[in-house]
Amino acid sequence: MNGAGKSGASARPRFAFAVAPLLLLAVLAALPAFSLGPNTVRLLFVTLVWVTISIAWNILGGFGGQVSFGFAVFYGLGAYTAALSVNSGVNSILSLLLAASVAVLASMLVGLPTFRLRGPYFAIATIGVSEAVRVVMTNVSMTGGASGYRIIETRPFHQLEHFYAALALAVVAVAVSMQVRHSKFGLALIAIREDEEAASDLGVNPYRTKLLAHALAAALTGAAGGVFAQYAAFIHPQGVFAFGIGVAILLMPIIGGIGTVWGPVIGAVVYGLIQEELIASFPQLHLLIYGSLLILIVLFEPAGIVGIARQIVPRLRARMEG
Amino acid sequence: MAPILSIDRVTKYFAGLTALKEVSFDLQPGGIYGLIGPNGAGKTTLLSILAGSIQPTSGTVVFQDRNVTGAKSFAMAQAGIVRTHQVPRPFRALSVLENVEVGVRFGRSQGSAGDLWDARRILEWVGIAHLADAPSVTLSVGDQKRLELARALATRPSLLLCDEVCSGLTEPETASVLRLLRKIQDAGTTILYVEHNLKAIMSVSHHVIVMNFGEKLAEGSPEAVQSDPSVIAAYIGRTA
Repeated sequence: MNGAGKSGASARPRFAFAVAPLLLLAVLAALPAFSLGPNTVRLLFVTLVWVTISIAWNILGGFGGQVSFGFAVFYGLGAYTAALSVNSGVNSILSLLLAASVAVLASMLVGLPTFRLRGPYFAIATIGVSEAVRVVMTNVSMTGGASGYRIIETRPFHQLEHFYAALALAVVAVAVSMQVRHSKFGLALIAIREDEEAASDLGVNPYRTKLLAHALAAALTGAAGGVFAQYAAFIHPQGVFAFGIGVAILLMPIIGGIGTVWGPVIGAVVYGLIQEELIASFPQLHLLIYGSLLILIVLFEPAGIVGIARQIVPRLRARMEG
Repeated sequence: MAPILSIDRVTKYFAGLTALKEVSFDLQPGGIYGLIGPNGAGKTTLLSILAGSIQPTSGTVVFQDRNVTGAKSFAMAQAGIVRTHQVPRPFRALSVLENVEVGVRFGRSQGSAGDLWDARRILEWVGIAHLADAPSVTLSVGDQKRLELARALATRPSLLLCDEVCSGLTEPETASVLRLLRKIQDAGTTILYVEHNLKAIMSVSHHVIVMNFGEKLAEGSPEAVQSDPSVIAAYIGRTA
């Protein structure tokens, strides 16, 4: 549907765009061969978790135009569910499925009452829910309340295991996102984002479509929370349920390029890498940099880094050819 | 012949204001029906109720022997009633073709695999096939009206509701859109057409329904309606 009727001139870069991610994936998969230090692997692991969540947010917020500040709820619930189930003897893959399921349930509880409303009500509700869940989790004694919850490890820690789990989940997320972009479901989401009433006039059921997108995004985010919890082995409400996490999740796809497949990936890599480097050396500066970056992008290039690339690449190519 | 649409005492209040008061009429399949009336007569309100954009306070809407009173707009589209908007509302991020795809894939035509009813053919049919890959925002007003019609037709409606499809168009553009409406009628779709442009509506409709202050004032052939004293009074104002 998208590429039909385009001229042959754009075939080559399209091919490059298709191959580049596969190359990157091969390099990541072969990572142990480079014998990287544990700090580098940790950085890559965290970045891959962010990539998954950034893609998840973009399915609802980027394609569907439904802005949520509350994805920390799914991340945190996923983390706690995975931690609790691992401690009850559930194997790690099943615990991730449970984490995803609990997040899906939460997405329904938020979406069922709010997606019927038009306008900013959904976005506002997600702020309230996010704070409420954090406060509740701070006071639940079963999970240690504010002092956090620990996974009791029964076998030795292999960092690469966790890295591959995060990589596999990120690949699933990219595949889901590509599938959504070119599916009937994706068309419905974009139509809703552009004009919900007009979409409904043509037979799109906005309520059901938004609920589904929310659930799909929650499942990926919950699983990512689970992957993180299994690595960290210690989680606490101020960490995984922090409102700042919910905001960070929304910043990544916006910086990278909202509503595209690769924008959220790029945004998450930029966020993950820069944040980890900056937060250590300049604890306050990274927020300033993100704030400035966000303002610049909103003002000058709403399509984010992907949008900037789309402007620059044709010019470079023209210069090289001409 | 059984009517395709039958509405009975449809009433709509907006916070105490009566927008529609017990409006009843039948539409026979295959016709072009004009719906006219002075500003504030309730034409668009009625159209919005039939399209499922708003729900009536009371009364019933029966479409093809099915009671569809109060159904949401997506359900109406899937049942076979679709509307166009007075001001075209294209999905701006999508191409012209993709705009039509939305109607093809979510309207009543969905699931009819192997059917030749594809988006490109519809664009050809309304005369904007050459714009298929253009971003929908780059279209002229006339072409946007055509896209609005193409998208609606893509849902395979039995009843097409047109809201002021000629407003903002030049004379030649109006004439060509009216030809398109006749073509749609010839293909078997019933049309209910709201229009301010009396000349346009009288030339294309075979039956006209006149509304005033939320009530049905008169209905009949264009000639009969034009000579009806109550219609003349409503448009020109009562002098007596």
